[in-house]
Amino acid sequence: MDATHDTRDMREASTGSLIAVVVIMIASALAFTFMTAPFEKLLGPGGGALAAAIHGTMAFLYLFVGTIGLYLGWRLLTGHIRAFADLQLLSVVAATFSLLAICFGNWLYIYYRMPIPESPRSYFVKNMPPVHAVFFEFKEFGALFTLPLAVAAAFILWRYGVQVVERKWLRYSVGVLMGLAFFYLVVAFGLGAAVTKLRPA
Amino acid sequence: MRSTMAETKPDGSNVEVAYTPSTRDRIPGGIAVAAFLAAFVGTFTLAVVNVFTVASKDFNAWVYGVGKLWMPGAAGIGPYSGKETLALVGWLGSWIILHFVLRKKELEVGRWFVAFLVGLGIATTLIWPPVYEHLAELIAGH
Repeated sequence: MDATHDTRDMREASTGSLIAVVVIMIASALAFTFMTAPFEKLLGPGGGALAAAIHGTMAFLYLFVGTIGLYLGWRLLTGHIRAFADLQLLSVVAATFSLLAICFGNWLYIYYRMPIPESPRSYFVKNMPPVHAVFFEFKEFGALFTLPLAVAAAFILWRYGVQVVERKWLRYSVGVLMGLAFFYLVVAFGLGAAVTKLRPA
Repeated sequence: MRSTMAETKPDGSNVEVAYTPSTRDRIPGGIAVAAFLAAFVGTFTLAVVNVFTVASKDFNAWVYGVGKLWMPGAAGIGPYSGKETLALVGWLGSWIILHFVLRKKELEVGRWFVAFLVGLGIATTLIWPPVYEHLAELIAGH
């Protein structure tokens, strides 16, 4: 038998089947939650609870994808990348989650800075001024840095293709861009989680 | 660097382990340089605009007006909407210009990337609140 054409045990899963698995898993989890749990308790009592839940989910997914991207970026930087196609795909997913986290972060920010005494910003300005004046302000700007860095990395990976692997400084550039995007993500994620813990929107 | 595209498994079948070497013509380094320099322009624009919004109430009001021109919910997030808008314009606008200027130039990616890292470090320093508040005070003359 010609081994070159024997692909029976190597066939990749179809995109349709992968999407179906993800949809079924998410639908099962949501159905179970709605049937058994008080959903409003899950979200929390604040007016910005839904925005916070979606923003947090996007940021968490970005953190998850970014962690894998960081590892593959390191493998690229050191010249040992094997899953180059995976890195290309992951870079686009990471950039997309960055954009989504920023968009939903804008929505949540409306609740954060509402001009009422109960809003998180009013609370921090009155009780813990440095939390807003230093940490939140730095978080809201640093988080925006992730998007151009992640997009630049994804663009170079797709535009140059495997030439990235073959050219030393392109490898270094993309690896460091992905590392930097991850750094700003972790800073924003950590500070955001801390702010939410202190005073949910 | 391994550049083979397939490796034979013990059972005789092939499995992809690395990547297929590029068969395309060499793509000029200017395209990559344009991409990360534009990222710097975007982040630096955000940092500088923020310093001046703290220094000047009139400029802050103008920046807020820019955000309200198009961004949904801008009234709720205040001047931050305008800062995001100007950073976005700086990033994408500079990328378009730099891409067309540099796309056929064979630049040394390493040298430009080091310059980018220095610039990003400056932009990061400028968004640290104690730094930009101090700079804003100097600019405002207080």
